[in-house]
Amino acid sequence: MDRQTIEHQSLILANQSVNPQTRILTLDAPLIARTAQPGQFVNLACDRFLRRPIGMMQADPDAGTIKVGIRIQGDGTRWLADRRPGDQLSVLGPLGHGFDFTGVRRVITVGGGTGVFPLFFVQQYCCARQIDSIAVCGYRSRADSILADDYAGLSCRTLFASDCGDMDVAGHAAVALEQLLSGMPAADGTVIMTCGPKIMMQAVAEIAVRYHLPCQVSLEERMACGIGVCLVCACKIKAEGSGQPFTHQRCCVEGPVFPAEVVEWST
Amino acid sequence: MVDLSVKVGQTELANPVLAASGTFGFGREMARFQDLSRLGGICSKGLTLKPRLGNLAPRVAETSCGMLNSVGLQNPGLAAFLQEELPFMKTLGCRIIANIAGHENDEYLDMCRRLDDSDVDVIELNLSCPNVREGCMLIGSSARLIEELVSAARRVTGKPLWAKLTPNVTSIGETAAAAEAGGADAVVLINTLLGMAIDRRTRRPILRNNTGGLSGPAIKPVALRMVAEARRTIKIPIIGVGGILNGNDALEFMIAGASAVEIGTANMIKPTACQDIISEMASLAETDGVSALRDYIGTLELWNS
Repeated sequence: MDRQTIEHQSLILANQSVNPQTRILTLDAPLIARTAQPGQFVNLACDRFLRRPIGMMQADPDAGTIKVGIRIQGDGTRWLADRRPGDQLSVLGPLGHGFDFTGVRRVITVGGGTGVFPLFFVQQYCCARQIDSIAVCGYRSRADSILADDYAGLSCRTLFASDCGDMDVAGHAAVALEQLLSGMPAADGTVIMTCGPKIMMQAVAEIAVRYHLPCQVSLEERMACGIGVCLVCACKIKAEGSGQPFTHQRCCVEGPVFPAEVVEWST
Repeated sequence: MVDLSVKVGQTELANPVLAASGTFGFGREMARFQDLSRLGGICSKGLTLKPRLGNLAPRVAETSCGMLNSVGLQNPGLAAFLQEELPFMKTLGCRIIANIAGHENDEYLDMCRRLDDSDVDVIELNLSCPNVREGCMLIGSSARLIEELVSAARRVTGKPLWAKLTPNVTSIGETAAAAEAGGADAVVLINTLLGMAIDRRTRRPILRNNTGGLSGPAIKPVALRMVAEARRTIKIPIIGVGGILNGNDALEFMIAGASAVEIGTANMIKPTACQDIISEMASLAETDGVSALRDYIGTLELWNS
């Protein structure tokens, strides 16, 4: 049996500041970059006990690098955000089940918060393959925005929403999506891909149902191993016909990306 | 070359390192990254008679030097294990230990009977899961109930029986002695310690189950003390488990009296932890001038009071 290398010692090549709470690390990880798919993640060792699962925002197979966006949320992510070029990190990856592009002719990504990082990977993927795509990104304000210029630099159409109304649309990303869809003719093969706060993704999934569009959501759950052995990252998935109200699937293996229609949103 | 082999009662192991239940699934995921025939054995995910959904998420909280989990025995049930998982596990080339948990004695006994006809090498009675309401830790907290269950299990299976005990008791010596009196071939010390993590902002426990089992290096000193204490109380072999991260940790457990060790939480942070620990044990033994790992077992010399 061909055995996969799962743990990689990666050199940090760059650490770029996005805003005071957010940084982008570029890692030398050729084996990960070669096979990484949009929506997949890596599990990064830090100074705390458990690793930190982070969605990839870019994989460049030619350069042998991946990029991850780190938002400082606690001690582990603060340590990661403080790493400098030349430091090494233990990286497990690529992990999880990413977005599905089978039969997709147009992609609308809807991202909020750090969800704009993995969706940036989706948009790059679409641009490289001439898949028609539109990026909807939601922020608190222009000052708080992440990757807005990078999205604008891609060939996709962009629509930026901010809570305070200082960007294209006032309100969160789902409001912007609704506005976009209401003014746009339906096109076969259109798929919505979303990542961000649960409440936003649920709103996006409801809009997708109303517009009869398939939707894929990238869920988040507290994780440990990231490789499917510990079962702590249980996602509630509908289980119609099984006699059970729902079932549990692993965010790290069957997810993080699920078809929206199978997600049981109740907690 | 250091002789790595050990015996736990009648069960011969190529080396003392076993993957602990609940940290290795049924070996499928880990087999993609490594040759599992190099391990001493694998303990299956905790099995129940019927499939179980487990507890609601969040099921994990990080702690200083460890983690809390409250998975709640999510598993496909014994029938699916026998049909789908065990045939695969038997191809891995190491000992296969079925970890079983029940609501009540009859459920344990029913599973023991069905496993008696199977290819598993050992049955590990989980008398210690802290994350389910019935059975398990409730049985494992009472010496009388442990002895009743183990002796009843002894009557229905000829497979080696290991009793995995909980540290959430006043006297581990008493509960270990009860397992021995019931006819267990070995005791496994220890399962997780019952704990809680709180989110200050929400004033809620982080775990949806409110409490969970603490594991990792935070519990290693407790586990070592319990292995050493039980070693002085019982004659049957002990399998040591609790916060082992490296070969040195594993040898400390053997010195305290363990014939073998289980590796659990280390698998969460390093998928190849078990293999790495085996190599480290061999090289430390060479450094110590010890020719066989079994020569470490129970060599602890306590200070005189």
